[in-house]
Amino acid sequence: MLVVRNLTKQYNDVVAVKDLSFTVSEGKIFGLLGPNGAGKTTTIRTVLNIIKPTSGEIRFYDKKISNNFFNVIGYLPEDRGLYKKSRVDEVILYFAALKNMNRTEAQKQLNFWLNKLEIPNYKTKKVEELSRGNQQKVQFITSVIHNPRLLILDEPFSGFDPINQQVIRETILSFVSEGKLIILSTHQMELAEKMCSDILLMNKGQEVCSGSLSQLKKNFGGNMVEIGFEGNGGIIKDLSYVKGIDDYNNFAEVQLNDSVEPYVFLRDISNKIKVNHFRVIEPTLNKIFIDMIRQSVVS
Amino acid sequence: MKKIFEISRWEFLEKVKTRAFILSLIITPALVILISIGGTLISANEQESTKAIGIIDSSMVYYFPLSQTLEDYKLDNGQPAYVVFNLNHPTEDFKDNVMTADRDVYKNKIAGYILLNNYGDSLDVQYRSSSSGDFKDVQRIENAVKEVRIKIGLLKLGVNPDLLRSSFGNISVEQVTVKEGDQVRQSDFISEFLSAIVFIMLLLMMIIYSGQMLVRSLVEEKSNKLIEILISSCTPEELLAGKILGLSALGLFQMFIWTCIGIALAGTSVIPPSAFNNFFIMLVYFILGFLFYTALFVGIGSIVTTEQEAQQITSYLSLILVLPIAVSASAIFNPNSLLVEILSFIPLTIPAIMLLKINVIDVPPVEILSTIIIMIASIYITIFAASKIFRIGILSYGKKPGIKELISWIKEK
Repeated sequence: MLVVRNLTKQYNDVVAVKDLSFTVSEGKIFGLLGPNGAGKTTTIRTVLNIIKPTSGEIRFYDKKISNNFFNVIGYLPEDRGLYKKSRVDEVILYFAALKNMNRTEAQKQLNFWLNKLEIPNYKTKKVEELSRGNQQKVQFITSVIHNPRLLILDEPFSGFDPINQQVIRETILSFVSEGKLIILSTHQMELAEKMCSDILLMNKGQEVCSGSLSQLKKNFGGNMVEIGFEGNGGIIKDLSYVKGIDDYNNFAEVQLNDSVEPYVFLRDISNKIKVNHFRVIEPTLNKIFIDMIRQSVVS
Repeated sequence: MKKIFEISRWEFLEKVKTRAFILSLIITPALVILISIGGTLISANEQESTKAIGIIDSSMVYYFPLSQTLEDYKLDNGQPAYVVFNLNHPTEDFKDNVMTADRDVYKNKIAGYILLNNYGDSLDVQYRSSSSGDFKDVQRIENAVKEVRIKIGLLKLGVNPDLLRSSFGNISVEQVTVKEGDQVRQSDFISEFLSAIVFIMLLLMMIIYSGQMLVRSLVEEKSNKLIEILISSCTPEELLAGKILGLSALGLFQMFIWTCIGIALAGTSVIPPSAFNNFFIMLVYFILGFLFYTALFVGIGSIVTTEQEAQQITSYLSLILVLPIAVSASAIFNPNSLLVEILSFIPLTIPAIMLLKINVIDVPPVEILSTIIIMIASIYITIFAASKIFRIGILSYGKKPGIKELISWIKEK
């Protein structure tokens, strides 16, 4: 587990991160979300121990984060770049050596990863000879070759075509099942929505909201369902726990009281009208993101 | 430690393979050799064959003694330096004689001729030749005419001709530098100056070249955020140490190659053997200077973000480096002047100035020791400050920090 408690980072008179707390646990992908300039990079840098927090603490499996953890953390920064004039295998082996891997093991892992990401032919090519997507793959390998326990991925999918996005996604998911801690920072809300179980949404250095994705949606979403039906729709608004309804004659969007589970509503109406289709309407993460950031700006 | 080694290994191997480095390995010594050959040519400029020279002396008073004096000059191989012809044909008009002689000059029949015109007491002398670069000839002719003129005057007064001959014999002054103990070394000014200049130029080129390489690679790592991966794998101090070590290894490798070239050429006219007189002490200053400037470049390189800024800053630093060359003439002719004295205690100029001085005068051991201590202290301080600046500088982008901000970086714990 990675526990961040009351993290604050101040540069002169600018507060980059203020009183931020969150926990990253095994088996889940932790989504670190926020608009540009929200303080995500600063947060990541303090976790990487590149910069020291002004106050607060970061604990990695109950030990204070320090330079001793360099070798168990993998980091894929948002801006990609490698030594363009150097050979693919040399670059990867250099970063592996910096993570204290011995050369034989690094060689083995190098071949494994090049094969896994389907670029074994580029092993001895210069980085600049590779396509953008393949350079991204090389960079991805440099961040995971040492089998880190904590992996911080900043926009890991940018620059990949859909096929390679899938390859990378599957790889990341396999890390989850291996029990690695994964922090994913991205602006691709649909992707975050599909992959992250826990979310921290931040703006202007502060937490806007956090928690499990389902909880977030529930808190935000106001318990909406959508039904298609035949029969008298009038009985719906007679139910005591229905707060509001948009009735389109044989289709309706219904807002329920927060305390009522959607299946209760379905049970109650299914013996009175013929229900053709029923769906719980969840707000998309994208909508939550935009609305929450707007709210936090207003307040 | 292992990471420092890995970083320096990477920096060394990556740079040693670049085309630019391989070119610099060859081009720099080639340039230095060219310059020193040029220097030797200018300084020696020994004429290799006998020159034919004419004289037109309408009075015929000067012709015989002058031709005798000139023919006394000998080449290295013992041959006379000049063969003198009388171009004054009494049957011809003076103007026609001059025209004929001029034609002989540009037809290359003769190297030049001396035209003497007597106007009562005053004497008008011209040396007419096809090129204006014969300084040595002109100097000799001047001397010879003066000598002859004095001789003629003295003879008129009845002085013994034998006495005249012995007192006008050629004298050349040999320069000997006195050392402590009974040691005496013969100094060959030009070769010492050149060997010092060669060393300084090597130092300058290496520093400017590797400094630029360092700054460029830092800017590259910064602009593509590689630096963040690097310092999430090792501490900034390790990164800095690795980079300085790697570059120093590169510099030493370069030195090694150049020394090999130097040894191969030693004894030839290109590199005088005396160039190796102070080799060890020169090497010390060389390494100290290299380390000092490398640390300086690291500190400065970490605060810039773009290639343009990097170029701007490296060219300023290069200017400071060139300063010793500008004062090198004064250092050579007057190694004890105040300016040189001051510059030989400023860390920026110590290496270059001392390289010059130890070749020209005997620098007291106290001065050598104290300058070395100053260098080591300033290297330590520079590396300390550079590492502080480096730690913050590599993560800041955009606006260049001001002096105030830099000082606050250095103070930050």
